[in-house]
Amino acid sequence: MACIINASTTSGLVQTADLSGVLQFQQNGVALPNGGVAPAFNAYGSALQSIATATFTKIAFNTKAFLNGVSGTVFDTNTNYDTTNYRFTPTVAGYYQINSTISTTSSATGLAFIAIYKNGTAFCYGNIVPNTNGGYITANGLVYCNGSTDYIEIYAYQNSGVSLNFGSSSSPFQFSGCLVRGA
Amino acid sequence: MYDKIMKLYPSLTDIDFMTVITLQNDSDGKGDYIAKWEHPTLARPTDEELA
Repeated sequence: MACIINASTTSGLVQTADLSGVLQFQQNGVALPNGGVAPAFNAYGSALQSIATATFTKIAFNTKAFLNGVSGTVFDTNTNYDTTNYRFTPTVAGYYQINSTISTTSSATGLAFIAIYKNGTAFCYGNIVPNTNGGYITANGLVYCNGSTDYIEIYAYQNSGVSLNFGSSSSPFQFSGCLVRGA
Repeated sequence: MYDKIMKLYPSLTDIDFMTVITLQNDSDGKGDYIAKWEHPTLARPTDEELA
């Protein structure tokens, strides 16, 4: 699977080798982000999603993007993104840059935004836009994940008084993230 | 869910739903639910009231 150079707290420097041609650095058995195993993913939604008024609703980013944009290898280096629960659960502890963008439809009243959720609770919010404009809303944040149980999702909110459609099959709405620093 | 709550408590405002009350839908087919109810004076609606 990889040639590994590990700084162990019990054995000092430990090296293991195979024929994979992949080099991985570890701190006490935990892979460093630049060791070739840093989680990164990009997912998108493939259909309109109805968002009820005044209700935080998880966005169904149900498809993994492709590395080259159209086909081939999916953009999910460690298979950490779940297209059923629309959830990123990274398997390496550290600090993750999380990004999301989605289009909204216009309405006469209210506002709209999206939020990055960590473990089912709002962690940070994106820009708030009036529904009169429609357009795109985004959220970006740096989130620590423990590499085992912590997970990230995106929720949308609008309070026009009626349900509004977010996203579409033809406009980009995506959820992406990557490890920027190990724990 | 929102409409049922507003019918029970017409005095609630948009701000209430962004601060002391959180309605949520996890897109898992189970529908909307009250994730947080911390309104200082109005009681959390019962399941019967929301049915």
